[in-house]
Parts: sequence; C-alpha cells; structure tokens
Amino acid sequence: MLSLSIAARFLRKSPVQSILIAAGIAVGIGVQVFLGSLITSLQASLVNQTIGNSPQVVVLAEQDGQPIMYTSQLEQAMKAQSEITTVVPTRTYSAIFRSGSESAPLQLTGGALDQLDTIYDISGRLVAGKAALGSGEVIVGKEFADQFGLKPGDTASFVLPSGEPADLRISGVFDFGSAAANSATAFVGGDQAAEVLGYSADEYSAIDAQVADVFSSVQVADGLKAEPALDGLKVTEWQADNADLLSALQSQSSSSYMIQFFVLVAVALGIASTLAISAVQKTRQIGILKAMGMKDRQSGRIFLWQALILGVSGAAVGVAGGLALIALFTFLGRNSDSLFPITPQIGFVVISFVVGVLVAVASSLVPSRRTSKLDPIEVIQGG
Amino acid sequence: MAETLVSAEGIGKTYGTVVKTVALHEVSFELEAGEFASIIGQSGSGKSTMLNLIGLLDRPTTGRVVLDGHDTTAASRKQRAALRNDFIGFVFQFHYLLPEFSVLENVLMPGRISGAAGSELVARAEENLALLGLEGLEKKNANDLSGGQKQRVAIARALMNRPALVLADEPTGNLDTENTKAVYRLFRQINEELGTAFVIVTHDRGVAQQTDRILEISDGALLQDVRNEYLAPASR
Repeated sequence: MLSLSIAARFLRKSPVQSILIAAGIAVGIGVQVFLGSLITSLQASLVNQTIGNSPQVVVLAEQDGQPIMYTSQLEQAMKAQSEITTVVPTRTYSAIFRSGSESAPLQLTGGALDQLDTIYDISGRLVAGKAALGSGEVIVGKEFADQFGLKPGDTASFVLPSGEPADLRISGVFDFGSAAANSATAFVGGDQAAEVLGYSADEYSAIDAQVADVFSSVQVADGLKAEPALDGLKVTEWQADNADLLSALQSQSSSSYMIQFFVLVAVALGIASTLAISAVQKTRQIGILKAMGMKDRQSGRIFLWQALILGVSGAAVGVAGGLALIALFTFLGRNSDSLFPITPQIGFVVISFVVGVLVAVASSLVPSRRTSKLDPIEVIQGG
Repeated sequence: MAETLVSAEGIGKTYGTVVKTVALHEVSFELEAGEFASIIGQSGSGKSTMLNLIGLLDRPTTGRVVLDGHDTTAASRKQRAALRNDFIGFVFQFHYLLPEFSVLENVLMPGRISGAAGSELVARAEENLALLGLEGLEKKNANDLSGGQKQRVAIARALMNRPALVLADEPTGNLDTENTKAVYRLFRQINEELGTAFVIVTHDRGVAQQTDRILEISDGALLQDVRNEYLAPASR
C-alpha cells in the first residue's frame, strides 16, 4: 500500500502537526465519551431515584378504594408480560400519626417483607433497627422518625381510616434517599393491612409491578389492558404520572446532543483546515509523484489514509481519556452522596470512536479531492 | 530501421483563453528508440513546453503525441499516468526528491507506483545507485546529500522502471562544471549500456553538441533538426 506508507511518512515528517490534529480529535472524542456517559448515567440515576424503588406499573380497581381479587389468572397474565420482572400484591391505607399535639398523615403499605423488598428494597435501605413486619410492627422513613424523635422499639399511635386508634411498634427505619418518600411512607405486614381495610386473604388494593426497561412501561401497561384477566381493572404506569420528569430528561438529552454535535463540528473543521494546509505543503511531492506515474485516486488516498491514521489514533486516545475522566470523577465522588456513579456506556464509547474516525475521514475529503485533481505540470512549471 | 519511440505530429500549445499566448507552433518530429538527442533554444522559446508535451505531463492544443505506438490524444489521466510510469523517466532542473524518504526509497518510488515490490526491485534500485556512484548512501535522507549527489539520485530514480525514454529538462542547471560533466557522462553511459533514449533540454549549445541530434527551437517553432554526425566521438 504505497498511499498508506507515504501517508504515514508525511505524518512522521511533521510530528508536531500530526500530534496536534490527533490531540484535537482526542479532546473531541474524550468529551463525547465523558459527556455521553455522564448524561446517560445522570438520567439513569434520576430515573432510578424517582421510580427505581417504586412500582412502575400498577393494577388497581376501577373504583378507588375497592379491593382487587388477586386470582391465579391475574397473576399469570401479569407474569406473561416478558418485560415484567416483579409482581407484588399490596394493601395500602392511609392513617394519621399522632404524638401529643402533633399529627402527620402517613401512607402505610402492607405486604410480605420478602416480596416488598423486591420493589422497595426496604431491608437494603434500613438505617436503624431490623427489617421485620410481624404482627403490630411498622417500618418508618428516616425523616418521619427524625421529625417525631422516633426510634426502633418505640410505639407509634395512629388513627385508622375508620377513626379507631391503633398502636404499632417501630421495628426499623429506612432511607429511600428522598425526604418526601421518607416522610410519607411506611410499611406494615400484609395481614395487619388486610384487617384494617377489611379485606379477605386474596383481596388487595393494588398489584405492583416492576419492568426491566423502565421506559417500556407504556407498552407493558397497554399489553395488560388487553388481557381478559384484567377486565374491570385499571392499569397505570409511571410515565403518565411523571410527564415533567420525562420532559426534563428529553430536554437534557437534546442539549447534550447539541453540545456533542458542535464539538464534532469543531473537531471536523480543525482537522479539515490542518489537512488542507498539509495538502498545500505537500503539493510539490504529490506533483512529482504524479509525474512519475502515480494515479489520481492513489494520490487522493494519501490524505484519506492520513485522516484514518489520525482519526483512529486520536479517537483511541480520546476514548482512553474519556474513560480516565470517568474513573477520576467516580474516584473523587466515591465518598460523596451528592455525586452519582458514571457508568461508561460501551455502546456509546464504540459509537464515539467510530464517529471520531468517520469525522476525520470526512474532513479529509476536500484535501483528498484537491490532491486527486492536482496536475503535475502545475508543480513542474512552478519550479 | 530503428523503431519509432515518440512521434510528435503537429503538436502545438496555446495558453490562455481570452489573451492567447502561443508557446509552441505545430511541431512535428520523430524520435527513435535509443536516440541521444537534445532540444536547444533560448529561455521562453518553447523547449520545455515541447518536453512536457512528449512527456505526457501536458496536453497539446493541436496535434498528437504517439508514444511507443500508443496515440495519447484521447488517453485519460489514468492512462497517461500509466504510460509515464512505464515508458518515461524524468530528470528536472530541480531534483524533486521526496525529503520524507531515504535515498533508496526515493529511487524505488517509480517501481512502487507501478505496484512492484520485493527484493528484485530493491536489487535494481541498488544497481542504479551503484551505476551512478552512490553506493553507501542508500539509507541517507535525500536532504543530507550535496547538489550533485541529489541530481544523481534523481537520475537513478528516473531509470528505476528501465524506461525507454528519459526526458531531462536543464538537468545540470543547478550544478557546477565538474558535476555537469559527470552527469552528461552518465547519460551517455546509460544510453550506451541500457539503450535508453534521452532527450535533454538545454540552452547551452556546448551541451547540445555532445548529443547525437539537436532540435533547435526558436519562438515556439522548430528551427532545425540536425543529426550531429559530424562530431567526432572523441570530442563528445
């Protein structure tokens, strides 16, 4: 490959120029890899914080407050949806906590702890006490406990929906990472909730489900609505209730794409101008090579090869730099609660690399075409 | 009868479209294989234009150039490039060596352009360098040589594909007397040993008289075309 060896030699002969172009590509691709992974991880973190530990698809009775019969047909219909990973029937009621003159409303969700854990991860998020939902036990949120000075072992007094009082013993305190959730939610045993609500053993207030890809919740909900086993029931999913979050995520993605696009344009212009200068600098050499019989396409390929070498090496360094930045970001934020972990997106890294190389090659089209059109007589007559 | 290598049939060159400048009027001549000829004329007389036309570096405005039986009138850029690579070696006033490559790599270049590779190619390049007294300089960078050495490397490069014709445009224009003599001795030696035809453009009548045939150009016209047979071999 004569064009390749000439391209490599031209690059080696001007090391500073070559390193500068490769560095330009590296910076562009490094920014791509870091920014892309940062935005994706930020969004994943936001989504996870918002809905990661809550049901993403919920089956409810058509009328509020009515129980659902959790039949085996209903269970099978839900588990038949391939995207659904977890199905947990729950019983939820509202109660008012009273402590002296103070009071606060609380939503109590009842269910089996091991099942509730599959969605809420109560055991994993426990900050005090133990994870237990035996008879008369309740697990409350951190902010709620702090506000009323409650700790495991204390007894909390509630006024039930029926107006009757009830005392529950606090077995543990969880932290969902959200003050709102920690203040307004608590968990009790499934039987305790059934007793309060007056439900039989197979009656529940909702069937909660989680899906593998959170953004598939709309399709899953549509699929469930079409199931005969769910006739007379309604299906809700998180996206319908979080339009603001979705719009924020979309805006974030758009602005990220814009930044990435303009970074690439800047990189492309940088490479194109430097390669164009290089093509002018090498006019004499190209002219004499053509006089000796080098064909137009063969000479045009010299700058394509140069771009490819610079693109591959620059993009490789850029990917390494981007990953190093991610590692540094993760290292610096290892002890911080406010920073979220950035996960390198392998697909995105590969795309960034390929885009970097393609941008470099595309930037070489003008100098390559110019070289290809050069007439040797222009150089010979020019002396 | 010797084989015709180049046939220039009424070739002319006019530059410009609005203001037209005629650089070469309709000139016809034939060059046989193995000839050792010169084109002589004043600066601006059209001698380099004529060399560029028969070297397929430029296209004539009128007439046609037939190279080794190939009519080049309708030849594409690609075909003309291939013909240059196969049949012609160029030596210019400026050596035009590629500063990015070593002496050996520069000499190898026409061979590599033709797609050849391997030890046979390198052996031929080394043979050329030896013929021109450049042994031991193979790995040196072309920039590290003296003016005379550079021009000899350019000659070695021109001979790489064993062309039937070498076109030399003021090849000693930048050399001192000693190197000038050496270059013409080499041209003659190569012509005799390899049977390569030479056309040397010069404005120096003394140089022209060392060749076997002189084509004299004046104001773009072929003034005379004389066989230099009256010169005794010893005086060459």
